[in-house]
Amino acid sequence: MNDVNNPEADRTADPTGQVTDAAPQVTDPALKNVTDPTVRVTDLTVRHRRTTALNGVGLDFGTGVHGLLGPNGAGKTSLIRVLATVAPPASGRVEILGREPRGHRELAAIRRELGYLPQEFGYYPGFTVREFVAYVAWLKEMPAEDSPAAVERAVERVGLHDRIDTKLRTLSGGMIRRVGIAQAIVNDPKVLLLDEPTAGLDPEQRVEFRRLLRELGERCTVVVSTHLVEDVAAACTGVTLIDSGRVAYRGTPDSLVALGDAESVAEPGPALGDNAIERGYTTALRAHRERALEGAAR
Amino acid sequence: MTTANGLVLYVRSRAVPLTLGRLAAIMAFAAYGAHSVDVFLDPQRRAPVVVLAPVFAAAVIGSSLYAAADELDRTAVRPWWPPRLAHLLGLTALAAVVPALTVIGDAEGFGAAAVVRNTLGSVGVTAVAAVLVGARLSWLPAFGYLSAVYVAVQGAHGRAATVWAWPLQPGAQPGSWAAALTVFAAGAVLYALRGARPERLPV
Repeated sequence: MNDVNNPEADRTADPTGQVTDAAPQVTDPALKNVTDPTVRVTDLTVRHRRTTALNGVGLDFGTGVHGLLGPNGAGKTSLIRVLATVAPPASGRVEILGREPRGHRELAAIRRELGYLPQEFGYYPGFTVREFVAYVAWLKEMPAEDSPAAVERAVERVGLHDRIDTKLRTLSGGMIRRVGIAQAIVNDPKVLLLDEPTAGLDPEQRVEFRRLLRELGERCTVVVSTHLVEDVAAACTGVTLIDSGRVAYRGTPDSLVALGDAESVAEPGPALGDNAIERGYTTALRAHRERALEGAAR
Repeated sequence: MTTANGLVLYVRSRAVPLTLGRLAAIMAFAAYGAHSVDVFLDPQRRAPVVVLAPVFAAAVIGSSLYAAADELDRTAVRPWWPPRLAHLLGLTALAAVVPALTVIGDAEGFGAAAVVRNTLGSVGVTAVAAVLVGARLSWLPAFGYLSAVYVAVQGAHGRAATVWAWPLQPGAQPGSWAAALTVFAAGAVLYALRGARPERLPV
C-alpha cells in the first residue's frame, strides 16, 4: 500500500518530461482493511479528441462514500463516466465488482449492480416521477414483480413520495435532481456513481441528501463528484483530489482538515479558504501543482 | 415493470405518439397533393409529392430518434438494438405504405413504388445522419441531398445517374432501388448498433 498523503512517491518523469503516475496504485485509506475493493482502476487514461482528461490514474474504492474533488476540467466527470461504463478509456484497466467492462455479458452484470447520476441527466418532461424511475428500472432489467415496490422505495428515500405521480415538467430543479438520485438507487446498486448530486438542492435538501449518502455508504461503494467540500466533510469516508487528469491527493476528510489546519498556522488569513477543509483542499492542490512543475522542470 | 409497460415507456420516451400524429398530417398532405394535381393529364405531375412526402416523413422519423436521457440509456442492461430497430422499421413501414396507397397507379413512373423507394432511401440517409450528427439535425442531410440532386439531375444521363439521383427516378428503375435499399440498410444497421449521437457530451 502506498502512502496516501504522499502521491509523489509514485511519480516519475516520462521521457517527454511530463510527470506521470508510474505506479498509480493509490489506495483509499478507508480500505486499509479491505483486501478486495469493489472498484479498481489501473493506469487509466481517458482522452477527448486531443485533450487528455485522465492521465495514467490508479485508484481503488471499497464500501463507503468517496468524495471526488477537483477544479473544473480536472477529470472527475471523465472518471465517473468510465466507471459508469458509458465512456471507454483510451488505455488502462477498469475493474468493477471483480469484472472488467468488456463484452455484453460482463457489461450487463456490472450494470445490474450500478447506479449512476450524470452531471446533466436528461429526462422526459411528460413522464411522472414514478414512470421515469420505472423506466430506469426497466433499463436495468429489474424483475417485473419487484419493480413497483423498488420504484416507490427509491422515490420515498429522496423525499418525493408525495409527488410520485406528478409530471416531471412541473417539478423544480432541486426536485428533478432528487428524481435523478431516485433513479440511481432504484436497483439497490452495489456501486453508486453520483456526479454533482447536490447541484440545485437547497440547504435543507442537502442535509437530507448527506444523511442518505451516509446510509447508502454503509452497504455500497458510493463515489461522489462534487465542488462542495463541506458535503465531503459531512458525508464522505474518503477524499480523492484530482487535478489536470492526475490524482493530486488521497486521504480522509479529517486528514484534509488537518492539512488545512497545519497550513493556516504557516499562512494565516482567508487566502487558502474560509474553513479548515477548504484550506486543506487549496493546500493539497497547490502542493500537487508545485510537484508537477518540479517534475516538468526535471 | 413488465416488458410491455417498459416498451410503452420507451415508445413515449421517443415521442412516438407525437411522431405518429405528424406522419398522419404528412400522409393527409400527400393524399391531397396526389389527387389535386391533374395526374390524368400527366402522371409526372405527382413527382413533387412522391419526392417531398418521403423526405418530410423521414425528417419526422429522424426527430423521434432523439433520446433526452441518452446518458442514462447508455447504462442499460438490456441490449438496445432490438427496440431501436423495431422503432425505425415500424415507423418506416407506416410512412412508406400509407402514402403509397394514396398514389396507387403508374407503378412504372411516379406512383406507389417510387414512394416506397424514396421513403426507404430518405429514412436511411436520416438514420445515418442521426448516428453521425445527432437526431435533431438528422433531417438536414436528406433535404440537402435531395436539393443537390434536384439541381444536378437536369441533363444528367446514363446508368450512374439512376443510382445517385435515386429520389427523382421513376419507380421501376432498378439502379435507384439498389441505391435506396443500400442506404436504408446502412442507416438501419448503424442506428440499431450505435443509436443517435449524444448531443451534449459531458466534459
